[in-house]
Amino acid sequence: MMRRLRKITPFQVALVTSFTALAAFMSLPIIFILNHAFKPQNELFLFPPRFLVQNPTMRNLESLLLHASNATVPFTRYLFNSIIVAGLTLACVILVSTMAGYVLAKHKFHFKQLVLALITLSLMFAPETVGIPRYLIISGLGINNTYLGHILPALASPVAVFMLVGFISQIPGEVLEAAKIDGASQVGIFTRMVLPLSMPAIATISIFTFQGVWGDVETSTLFMQEETMRTMAFYVNSLLSGLQNSVAGQNMAAAAALLIFVPNLIIFLLFQRRVLETMVHSGIK
Amino acid sequence: MGSITFNHVYKRYKGEARPAVNDFHLSIEEGEFLVLVGPSGCGKSTTLRMLAGLEEISEGDLYIDDKYVNYLSPKDRDIAMVFQNYALYPNLSVYENIALGLKLRKTAKHDIELRVNRVARILEISHLLGRKPNQLSGGQKQRVALGRAIAREPQVFLMDEPLSNLDAKLRAQTRAEIIKLQSELKRTTVYVTHDQVEAMTMGTRIVVMKDGIIQQVAPPRELYDQPANLFVAGFIGSPQMNFIQGSVTREDGRFYFVNKRIKLPVPEHHYPGFNRDRNGISFIMGVRPEHALLKADTGREEEEGWVRCEVEMTEITGADSYVYVRLGEQTVIVRTDPDKLHRKDDKLLVSFAMNKVHFFEEQSGDSVSLKGDAQ
Repeated sequence: MMRRLRKITPFQVALVTSFTALAAFMSLPIIFILNHAFKPQNELFLFPPRFLVQNPTMRNLESLLLHASNATVPFTRYLFNSIIVAGLTLACVILVSTMAGYVLAKHKFHFKQLVLALITLSLMFAPETVGIPRYLIISGLGINNTYLGHILPALASPVAVFMLVGFISQIPGEVLEAAKIDGASQVGIFTRMVLPLSMPAIATISIFTFQGVWGDVETSTLFMQEETMRTMAFYVNSLLSGLQNSVAGQNMAAAAALLIFVPNLIIFLLFQRRVLETMVHSGIK
Repeated sequence: MGSITFNHVYKRYKGEARPAVNDFHLSIEEGEFLVLVGPSGCGKSTTLRMLAGLEEISEGDLYIDDKYVNYLSPKDRDIAMVFQNYALYPNLSVYENIALGLKLRKTAKHDIELRVNRVARILEISHLLGRKPNQLSGGQKQRVALGRAIAREPQVFLMDEPLSNLDAKLRAQTRAEIIKLQSELKRTTVYVTHDQVEAMTMGTRIVVMKDGIIQQVAPPRELYDQPANLFVAGFIGSPQMNFIQGSVTREDGRFYFVNKRIKLPVPEHHYPGFNRDRNGISFIMGVRPEHALLKADTGREEEEGWVRCEVEMTEITGADSYVYVRLGEQTVIVRTDPDKLHRKDDKLLVSFAMNKVHFFEEQSGDSVSLKGDAQ
């Protein structure tokens, strides 16, 4: 008896080859960041630049972390600030956006359309245009140089609310009504039904909110006058743009770039599956 | 326990001139299986949702067990509801779906387990308890939804077209199960459907609604035998009741129903309805297909009560056959023995069991005989 083999057409070969090549090309920046962080000083300034590291060294990370000794604010302080700010902002944005999304998607109240229109309208503003009003509000509230000053501007995320309104309105109303009859309070319906059912959308929001906050320098530049309250993104930026250490700081910047990048990667890998669910969900329904 | 009283209840939506539910006034006794039936948009679901507390009552009072519940939230009404699209919690397992209501009511853990398992046994879903709703078939989902309602042992069951999403065979099977379950649990049940067969087979009492207004409230048999108006007469029964237009004349103290083709004596029990001055008013005679008779046309002079007609088409359902005959401009459906074959354009004689026919005023649609009884 002949065993039937699956035929591989030349087209399939071409397809797989080209996609593999594309995937390899897309992964180049990641490989570069990983290598760059471990290059010694001489390799960093090599011309033409090399892609892969020749003599890996931990010196860059070391000097970044030990920069504390001769700078006023230690690097770890920036790192700590970034973790606090990103973590709290993420939690608060998820909480505020899901609650707003639930109410806007599933409840009737006066001026609901107006509220939705305002949220849509706020999507149209470029962040630069609201920089000055934001500064005035932050200083008016007297929350310069506090974590709240980092968190508050990012808290109202129209994109997140917009996405969640769309997502939550797809949850059948009967499911929530059944929970209501079963004895769930509004808080119960929110925590037991709405939150778990909108996990895919929350995952998506988490990724872009985290990326936005983790890489944000605006709040540190505008609202934080005290160096101790600024975040890692700001510090890395200053390493590259500050005049006195733009050359000397290159090694630290390379290491810092890795530190900036790794959490994003982790968050993305964690939530990737959920994000795909979102797309499937909205595609089918 | 479990009686319900609607006291002139209205539901009005903003920007709509006609109330969605118009003067719903009804008492439901404890343990009753009440069916709300009517075409879509007749307000039956809205009525049920007001009873559940999911929809506000615009006007009127609602009592459950003599307790005023207009402003009581759904969870405090001691009711359970089964939805058309099951409305299972997609993120919870079957067990958790059934248990949630008990959990939220702070039932002891071992008690929850006991009750969930008992309900699962009754509904034969014990083997599904670990699954998620998306791993179930439609019939299984509906059983879980029923289980969720039963487990809490509420005073009142509300069902909003629970069988509409099931296929025909499963629907008949689940229908029988619900009837059995209700008679065992003896809980007040309010059931909404647009399917008159479901209404007739399930309800101990049926409410027929149209345009938000109750048309008639009666047990199934009475609804079938004594429809209050044209709408109820046409809605209940399949195939539909035949309607023949005509007028009523009086000759020598006897009433006759006449039109161009026919002249039929009105039975005496309908006389009170015609005794008032009703000359020149158009009437409609209603005859169910099983109350009409066909026989071969012998070609002789028409006997009294027999009318000439021609066959239009025949529908054979197996147990019966329905012959569509043309009587002037009107078509009349007659139920016959399926063994007798009638061909298109066959000339036949048709007669009606006059003691079973109904008369309605054409203008108002109201039944003449019922009005006569009342006077």
